[in-house]
Amino acid sequence: MINRVVMEKMIYTIVFEKNNPGKLNALLSGIKTIDGERLYAVVFDEISSVVSDMNRVDLITDKSHAIAFAGVIEILEQHFALLPMRYGSMMESDLSIQKMLEKNYPEFRQNLLKVENRSEFGLKIYCDAKKLKKELGIKSEKETVQRPVSEIKSSVFREYVDKKLKEHRIEELLLSYVDSIIAEFTEVLARLNAVNKFKKMTTETNIIDAVFLLEKDKKGELVQAVEDLQCKHPGLNFTLTGPWPPYNFVDMTIK
Amino acid sequence: MCENKILCNTGTVDLSIYDISEEADKPEHIEESKLKLTPDNADSGLAKLVLTLVELIRKLVEKQAMRRVDGGSLTDDEIERLGETLMKLEMKMEELKKHFNFTDRDLNINLGPLGDLM
Repeated sequence: MINRVVMEKMIYTIVFEKNNPGKLNALLSGIKTIDGERLYAVVFDEISSVVSDMNRVDLITDKSHAIAFAGVIEILEQHFALLPMRYGSMMESDLSIQKMLEKNYPEFRQNLLKVENRSEFGLKIYCDAKKLKKELGIKSEKETVQRPVSEIKSSVFREYVDKKLKEHRIEELLLSYVDSIIAEFTEVLARLNAVNKFKKMTTETNIIDAVFLLEKDKKGELVQAVEDLQCKHPGLNFTLTGPWPPYNFVDMTIK
Repeated sequence: MCENKILCNTGTVDLSIYDISEEADKPEHIEESKLKLTPDNADSGLAKLVLTLVELIRKLVEKQAMRRVDGGSLTDDEIERLGETLMKLEMKMEELKKHFNFTDRDLNINLGPLGDLM
């Protein structure tokens, strides 16, 4: 029995080509894809979908493929406003892609305008959790008004509650400390007109994991703002990355 | 991550003793915290799911209780009874974890982009 190889279309990204007709095709001819297939554009009005042929059975989800996929998007992001697609987004044919572009055109356009001339940046802030909790614990003990010993019945259960209460207070202090850093940085980001998303306490040491969507020419100001924040908080480590395609700022479901 | 994507990497805090986030994001960690239910491990898989949810509820109850203690709305006797209850709950959880051979790290579920449940 002969198995027929059905080639489908792997979609990398949706590109806003409005001011650069022709530039996209020239650029695509020089970019390497995951498996050496050529990249090309399926066009609808001002937007294009960048695709390559792909056999679904050859689609492997591993680090090297994911990096190659992201590499294509990153090259294009330097030249166009774009919406990155999830790795493994596939459709049957160019015609079905074109229909999909047509059907979702207003949402694609709206999202593309939102990210135009902007890039995503990531900021992770780390702390030495044990040291920071210890410092906050000392602060908490100083601030707590101690009741006279005679008032407190001492028992194993009471001691257990006291221990838990101490841990709870340290957690609360840690959260308000994180909130104060977020508030401080949000003020800076507002001045830079950046859209931001913050996650708190993603791991024991990673107290803030943030992403920003910022105008490309404000990169220098962002780096300066992070360095200023580092000077104010020497007990923390800051890692700023970017520019990235707007992975976290596309808000739509394809119909 | 590509070196040229790091715009700024500052700070002098030594984090070498921790399993820092890049490590925690590794596929092995994510695999560990995924719920794996197969015909061969249905018992322990279900036990892990149930105990994770019980642990989540226990921690929420404990947090709420501490808020009330901290707010000063409980009498000494109430705090005493609360302590006894919370202590017994924690001990029972430890017993169950031991019975099913689970560690603290096992009692968590990776929720993908949302991170870990606890």
